[in-house]
Amino acid sequence: MDVQVIFFGSIIDITLVDSVLLNNCTDLDSIVNDLIERYPALANKKYFIAVNQKMVHENIKLKMGDTVALMPPFSGG
Amino acid sequence: MSNKKPSSIFVSGPIAAQKIAEDIQKHSSKVSIGAHSIFLGQVRADEIDNKKVTAIEYTAYEEMVMEKMAVIRESFFAKYALTCMHIYHSLGRVDVGEICLFVFTSSAHRRDAIDACNEMVETIKKELPIWGKEICEDNSTVWKQNN
Repeated sequence: MDVQVIFFGSIIDITLVDSVLLNNCTDLDSIVNDLIERYPALANKKYFIAVNQKMVHENIKLKMGDTVALMPPFSGG
Repeated sequence: MSNKKPSSIFVSGPIAAQKIAEDIQKHSSKVSIGAHSIFLGQVRADEIDNKKVTAIEYTAYEEMVMEKMAVIRESFFAKYALTCMHIYHSLGRVDVGEICLFVFTSSAHRRDAIDACNEMVETIKKELPIWGKEICEDNSTVWKQNN
């Protein structure tokens, strides 16, 4: 099962790419664990998560084709 | 109402003063309007560790901004008696002294336009997934933080 994870702002300074494709991730917690394994600096980073452009604040199940976004605190305007 | 259709708020680079003038002019045919309120955000030459900021580079999660803005617009039209509301935000590089945010609200009476404009500026800064990276004179960068 593929889930696309996209990164924004200062998160990209850590990942050095703006997206990755992850498989074998059935829920959000497993995505976060997988990402921290790949990018240890993420563990100390403040960010919000959106799934398919909606903010998510708890662990949820993911389905094929979902897009997960890691977003640092906003600084528009 | 045609004013509520979701459309991108993004402008590539700075927002030209000419565009702001033209947008004001366009509203002269809407004669039920009695008040406009306008907020303009300008890139400030902040100083970070004794280095001057020369520009801000903006990026955004554009699809999410569009989706969020559609909901926010609807709530503003429900809360305030607005005739129309236009919002533009820069993407990409905006040099100091240039305009990066343009919020333009119009109503029959001043209070709705003024209050909606003020609340929209706060909402944009708090709710929209947009990020600014400050670029200093030596090309070092610092991610902007909103208060």
